[in-house]
Amino acid sequence: MKFRQILWLFLPATLLLVAFIAAPSFDLFRASVFDPDFTTEHFERLINRSVYLDVMWRTIRVSLTVAVLCTLIGYPVAFFINLQPRRRQTLLLFLILIPMWMSILIRTYAWIVILGRDGLVNQMLAMLGLATEPMQMLYTSGAVLAAMVQILLPIQILTCYAAMTEIDFDLIRAARVLGARPRQALARVFLPLSLDGTLTGLVIVFMLSMGFFITPALLGGRQDTMIANLIEFQVQRLNWSFAAALGVVLLVLTVGMIVALRGAGKLLARRVLKGGL
Amino acid sequence: MHIMKPSLLLTGYFWLIVAYMIFPALIVIPVSFSSSEFLRFPPEDFGLRWYGVYFTDPVWIAATVTSFRVAVLSTVIATTVGTMTGLAIIRSPTHAQAPLTYATTIPIVIPHIFIALGVFILALRLDLTDNEVALAFAHAAVAMPFVVLITSAAIRQIDPTIERAARVLGAGPFRAFRVATLPPLLPAMVAAAIFAFFVSFDELIIAQFLMKGSETLPMRIWADLRLDISPVVAAVSGLLIVVTTVALACAEILRRRAISTLAP
Amino acid sequence: MTYYRMALGAATVLALAIPAKAQDKTLTIAGSGGVVKEITEKVFLPAYEEATGWKTNFVAAESNIMLEVRTMLASGKMLYDAMEVSASNYPIGVKDGLLAKIDYDLLDPNGELPEKAKKEFGVVAAAYSTVLVQRLDKNPEGRKIESWADFWDVETFPGPRSLNRQPQYTLEFALLADGVATDDLYDVLGTEEGLDRAFAKLDEIKDHIPVWWTSGAQSVQLLSDGEVFYSSTYNGRVTKLQESGIPAEIVWNGGALHTSYVGIPKTAPNYEAAHDWIRIRTMRPDLEIEYVKQLPYPNFAPGLFDQMSEDMARNMPTYPENAEVQFVANDEFWAANIDHIRERFDEWLLE
Repeated sequence: MKFRQILWLFLPATLLLVAFIAAPSFDLFRASVFDPDFTTEHFERLINRSVYLDVMWRTIRVSLTVAVLCTLIGYPVAFFINLQPRRRQTLLLFLILIPMWMSILIRTYAWIVILGRDGLVNQMLAMLGLATEPMQMLYTSGAVLAAMVQILLPIQILTCYAAMTEIDFDLIRAARVLGARPRQALARVFLPLSLDGTLTGLVIVFMLSMGFFITPALLGGRQDTMIANLIEFQVQRLNWSFAAALGVVLLVLTVGMIVALRGAGKLLARRVLKGGL
Repeated sequence: MHIMKPSLLLTGYFWLIVAYMIFPALIVIPVSFSSSEFLRFPPEDFGLRWYGVYFTDPVWIAATVTSFRVAVLSTVIATTVGTMTGLAIIRSPTHAQAPLTYATTIPIVIPHIFIALGVFILALRLDLTDNEVALAFAHAAVAMPFVVLITSAAIRQIDPTIERAARVLGAGPFRAFRVATLPPLLPAMVAAAIFAFFVSFDELIIAQFLMKGSETLPMRIWADLRLDISPVVAAVSGLLIVVTTVALACAEILRRRAISTLAP
Repeated sequence: MTYYRMALGAATVLALAIPAKAQDKTLTIAGSGGVVKEITEKVFLPAYEEATGWKTNFVAAESNIMLEVRTMLASGKMLYDAMEVSASNYPIGVKDGLLAKIDYDLLDPNGELPEKAKKEFGVVAAAYSTVLVQRLDKNPEGRKIESWADFWDVETFPGPRSLNRQPQYTLEFALLADGVATDDLYDVLGTEEGLDRAFAKLDEIKDHIPVWWTSGAQSVQLLSDGEVFYSSTYNGRVTKLQESGIPAEIVWNGGALHTSYVGIPKTAPNYEAAHDWIRIRTMRPDLEIEYVKQLPYPNFAPGLFDQMSEDMARNMPTYPENAEVQFVANDEFWAANIDHIRERFDEWLLE
């Protein structure tokens, strides 16, 4: 394809992103260091107080955990769907899509119903005589993780699935014909070929997690605050410049982590291609 | 297609995970049939009270219609622009692909509240506040990177030599694309479009800043949850589950038809 | 490559199809959504439209309203003519110069409004209280919470609690629990030692607060779910809680009495017409009584209490017996001190 044609293909995206992302973001980048004169006080505040460093570290940790959990849980699910006959696949994908279409607000509220003190789990525990006092499950890190994984899992499954459907099954058949066992064919042929899409899903889930605020806000305690919650909060407090500084930090952390994840992914891919797992 | 049969263990695992994903959806349904003032489980009295509220309240209906309109327009924009971009990335020189992917997908990492603030200022300058089209474009800008990621992953698997062959055989660039690249790309595009729709339909913060007079559905839900928590929210999600299941079924049927007519 | 042109063409057509905004003779009012919006639309807006011949556009602005107004001011394009200003937003509006002065000669030429209703940048639209609410069914046998000291007494009254995720009024409650008299609250809170004392008191109860509420509805939902047994909340929704079968009871003792306002943002396009709206909203007892029937948030419309039954009046935060045991929230104190206290509070929460 000619160079000019490629440029034309990029044009609409460029316009859209410049108008609705780059220009507005630039304004806010500026706000993080001009208040109204040039100052680095907001960044200094972020670095000098351990509470903010804790929040940053927690955001990365939670997002990584969610992304890895979604990948570990989601990959076999996508694989299972792929093994089904075509018609069946569509049906099963429906099951994955339905929860995805529900508002995140609603799905989060459902967890309140499930995990509350008078909630479903506690009621069942009491009925079975396993607990006399209701357990505190809501407003804990566990609740945030369970809900975030549940909310983001369909995205990882769909991305894995999309990558797997592109795999030419003749390759696996060929491997089988050449004497590979099913397990070998999987590890040597199927897994490497699906790795790229799986990593894409992992990165998407990671990125989305980094920006989550509804779920930690509704299901977490004060110890589960993430950067996006802080930003939301500071914006509500009208501390624009501090919020802007937090946003810049979130951006830098996320991009840095993605580069790291991609790099790690490439290393992994090379190892897998060389010698299997 | 059968290369191996899934083991019993894998089958059981699959249904366990499906239950984990869907269970919260199911729990919302009995709550929606409660006639109590508060969200409570299990509901004490059953009735259609909150469905009645939803259907007779012009505010809820208007919010639903607005959200739908915005999401459809936004999906069209995001899918078109995103697929073009995905195509452009994969057809670029190899060493340029990674930086181009970063450049076009970086918006994902920008918190929505930031985009919301920025776009709000922009919209004020251009007198576009309370404008659904502006909101749809903003949503499209947010959703497009996902479309790029999903479609470019798919395009990478498609053999470009087929399209080149079509060109050599005399097809124009568009026709070559339509015949050689589009059909295998379509499932990824549909997945991307569904995703884009979901991004817009569920997006709260940008809408809240940009829309003044009219409300979108998430704005309505958020307002309800914050100020007036009532099971009408559960009724809305109950309805959404039914409607989307039907809509997805229709979309799937259409997609299959499209593929069978396009196939050479 | 025609499809990108189609897409661009479609975008242009759509952009041109943007409807022109009707701006003449429409008053745009920003306020809370939910019940408040419903009642306002039912009661006050028609009265205004009838009296002036103007149209109205009521915008549910939620919690970001001050942010929006600030952005609009910065951009030089104010969309709102009048707005509800909550108790906690009023000081911010004054301090940051977001509000225009009220012209009382224009609003109330005959001087009917009582002095306590009149502020420089707003007129009292509603009075409400932040009060302690208890679930009677979760109390130990024969015991009842009667003060903030009881709220802090986790030995006698065990169980999860909730407080507002704002230093305003929360710190006052802590000081009350620590034995400070209502009259001395703001003197104590104004000193570094007093502030330390409030935070030290909050430290005592930190572990018993699984969740800090951020909206009135949330606090009531928490009580309804039994997620917490005791919480501060606004008096308005407690009635609904009781009606839904939850044995909840207000402790008026130590409550914070607030007033929220209706004001005019600076550079509002229809400054004078906004005064007509404020008059309808704050000086009409015949309309206000309809509002109060739905929400027990009365204002100072002359003669309002004459229209209420004893039972109804007793539920009002401004009912003498209730007002007596509460303290009046000091907006000016918070306007002057909010920044450094809030920063400390927010960081204390994250610790």
